[in-house]
Amino acid sequence: MKVALFVTCLVDQLCPNVGMATVEVLERSGCEVTFDERQTCCGQPAFNTGYRNEAKKFAKRFIKIFENSDMDAIVSPSGSCTAMVKHFHELFPDEAKWRERAENIAAKTHELSGFLVNVLGVDDVGAVSDCKMTWHDACHGLRDLGIHDEPRRLLKNVKGIEFVEMENADVCCGFGGTFSVKYPEISAGILDNKIEMIEKSGADTVVACDASCLMQIAGRLSRIGSRVQTKHIAEILASRE
Amino acid sequence: MTLDNAHSDARSAIFASIRDNLAASASFDAIRNEHHVHAASELALTGSTIRDRAEVINGFRENLKLLGAKCAFVENEPEAADRLSEIVNVLNAKKIVISDSELVHRIVNASGFDAVQDASREELFASDIGVTSAQWAIAETGTLVLGSGAERHRLVSLVPPVHVCILLTGSIRQSMAEILEIADPDANRTITFITGASRTSDIELTLAIGVHGPGELHVIVIKDQ
Amino acid sequence: MSMTHATPETFDRNARRALADPILHRALRNLADNFVVRRRNVILSVDDWQGLRERARSIKEETLLRLDKYLEQFTENAAKAGTTIHWARDGKEACEIIVALVRATNAKMVVKAKSMTGEEILLNEALEEAGIEPVETDLGEWIIQLAGETPSHIVVPAIHKTKQQIAELFVEKVGIDKTENVDVLTQTARKILRERFAEAEVGISGVNFGVAETGTILILENEGNIRMTTSLTKTHIAIMGIEKVIPQLADLDVFLKLLPRSGTGQRLTAYQSLITGLKKDAEDIGPDEFHVVMLDNGRSRMLAHRVTRQSLACIRCGACLNACPVYQQVGGHAYGSVYPGPIGAVITPQLIGLSKAKQLPYASSLCGACREVCPVKIDIPELLLHLRAEITEGSAGGTTVKARLKPKFAESLAFKMYGLAWSKPAWYEFGAKVSRLMQRLVARDGKIGNVGGLISRLVPPLGAWTAWRDAPVVAPKSFREMWRDKENDAR
Repeated sequence: MKVALFVTCLVDQLCPNVGMATVEVLERSGCEVTFDERQTCCGQPAFNTGYRNEAKKFAKRFIKIFENSDMDAIVSPSGSCTAMVKHFHELFPDEAKWRERAENIAAKTHELSGFLVNVLGVDDVGAVSDCKMTWHDACHGLRDLGIHDEPRRLLKNVKGIEFVEMENADVCCGFGGTFSVKYPEISAGILDNKIEMIEKSGADTVVACDASCLMQIAGRLSRIGSRVQTKHIAEILASRE
Repeated sequence: MTLDNAHSDARSAIFASIRDNLAASASFDAIRNEHHVHAASELALTGSTIRDRAEVINGFRENLKLLGAKCAFVENEPEAADRLSEIVNVLNAKKIVISDSELVHRIVNASGFDAVQDASREELFASDIGVTSAQWAIAETGTLVLGSGAERHRLVSLVPPVHVCILLTGSIRQSMAEILEIADPDANRTITFITGASRTSDIELTLAIGVHGPGELHVIVIKDQ
Repeated sequence: MSMTHATPETFDRNARRALADPILHRALRNLADNFVVRRRNVILSVDDWQGLRERARSIKEETLLRLDKYLEQFTENAAKAGTTIHWARDGKEACEIIVALVRATNAKMVVKAKSMTGEEILLNEALEEAGIEPVETDLGEWIIQLAGETPSHIVVPAIHKTKQQIAELFVEKVGIDKTENVDVLTQTARKILRERFAEAEVGISGVNFGVAETGTILILENEGNIRMTTSLTKTHIAIMGIEKVIPQLADLDVFLKLLPRSGTGQRLTAYQSLITGLKKDAEDIGPDEFHVVMLDNGRSRMLAHRVTRQSLACIRCGACLNACPVYQQVGGHAYGSVYPGPIGAVITPQLIGLSKAKQLPYASSLCGACREVCPVKIDIPELLLHLRAEITEGSAGGTTVKARLKPKFAESLAFKMYGLAWSKPAWYEFGAKVSRLMQRLVARDGKIGNVGGLISRLVPPLGAWTAWRDAPVVAPKSFREMWRDKENDAR
């Protein structure tokens, strides 16, 4: 299967190893992965803050870059960015042609764990790890894309792992994009509840499919001097030791 | 401007606003696949399994118990009267108010207690027990349904601290949907649904029973002859 | 200054104050923990919860698309049964109508059943100004009336108060010995309010649903105060938002399955009253006069766009409040408006004007928990995003409340620059290189701690982030650089 990687600006610049791990996992699962260097961002920050004109420009650019490839699928290590692509069509209320192109792109775009399990039919990628880990259900992945069972299946098949389900795994971490800096106190309050549940679970690693949630959670864990690590699911699935 | 003029102005203005704004949304509606619009009459009642009478009556009993309502299933009116007597004696009740239901009259007479019908406000607020019947009941929730067309129930079932409700097994239906189908809102200008005792969780979500309505509900179900 | 005088315009200040209140924190935690469990359990008693939600949404959609027809039908049928119908374009007009109706009875006191619509139009203030005493009879509403506050929740108005606070309030205002025993407190309230009921001649209530087919209104409750208010009095005045109408009596079955479960975790509330006009027999129990005041107050405007129209589907269950991580942190008063929480964040700007409530649509992480629990499937995140676009650009494809709002200059500029720079990969990569350089000023051990001071003022988002969290650094090599290396190695 030919896969075009949509790496996302966050992963590209802040945690590029997640991008490398994503490629590794896809290749190990039998995909041929290409990366189109013209890509930058899906425009989610603009859309979420209400700057639809800017968001539309990003959307058009994304569609133009990805639609002509002969790829079978576009795969991304981010639930929220994938969800944004699914929402592109809302930016073209008066432009039927663009709406159609947006819907076509959306149909081909997948988040990594959903792609592995639902499209490739794979739930064991031969990974090995000795973490005691818990899963955080990132909001867009869960509620926009329906990603819930897929990552759990993939992770439980990792050899050596101990998986614990935390309470309120499906409750927001408090990031919400610009919300995290517009209302930082509220964001921190929500985050502290998440940290409480992580600690209560006894896990030493928190895993998610969204680098933004992981950035939020890691930022607080680090600030309070916690030993708990954060890892993106791609990193766990790519690991061999 | 007279009240009438203002009234018709307001009415016209509101309807005009509704129509204008609906018209404005039409172009946006055409774009998106709307939620499939059902004409209300097309909506079928959720599939209800056919239950036999015994099942329905038992369901009613179980759900009443879950609500904490005391219930007694009796064979005939004399037994109902005995049950009522028990309740009155245990509560040491002195003042009983009743509705205009003939069934209630018969039972209360048979029990030998004095009771007041068409009680005044003072009498209602000073009473210990209110006795009514019920026109229907809902098994799936343990609900009593009282229709004002058949019985003057509104205050007798509400003001006294204890409510005793006497009904026939034949009045019990399985679901709310059935009641909504058969209850006639024109004949019964007030239909009251009662599910357990009065309650609140307004203070720290802690349950407290008996706020304004009765804190105790007794149900006596007489087998239909 | 009391929290209850906060406005939506000062949401950020209100929120900060709320977050610093440990008692409020405890009360909200109690609500959140309880609600999740109760709702989850009670939904199990329904065969097809999702199907029910879908049907409810369909009924509402059908009704709203033909709202004029259904309102005509409802008011005609209600009038045929003896109801006197009144129309109010806004809250002020509604209050005028109601005050005039009460004055006509010469009553100096009215008993009130809980009505959020009544709160919306500031009815109590209007009555008091007219020399009429409004007595709230719902326990939660009576508690906050004693405290001189406004409700902080749609369903449980005093949820922000702990038992201890309520106990102290009773000592001060009622004069009983201090007790935190909920039964004692409740019975005390009952006794006092019964005395008011015993002399009440006029009752004012809200309406949960109005049935067009029969002209019937439905009101739900647990306490019995609504039945008292509507049965003991000679005059019953009901205030009804125009969006409350539904087509048929049979439709009530759907909503009666959804509303109690979503609102209080019950299968059914203790009492439902279906009232159709006046009693047929003059000798019968019940009011001699029944009035329904149909209220617009900005609702008809919401019909102008598919996205905003769904605001009118709300059945005021409060589930979205209970599920919302933001509400759980700051409580209802922080929103500074009658309707708090997620539904409040979307209808308040539409009711009072975007310019007066422009913070509210941003007070959300867009997590979608509200959409998940809404019994009528209102897509609140979609609505929030729609309003954000209106605030920022004045256009989201059809506006409901046109407002020329001054854009936030710095933010607007930042987003335009982001849009421009990131449309060209070369500029995007250049920006990353610059960031790598600049971050040396603030990075230590591979992360950025609390930047504080000057830098916080120059780059506010960085200051806001790092006040509570460490920030990651831009990686020395980006993914695309690693990819290029990999490609080059392969050659």
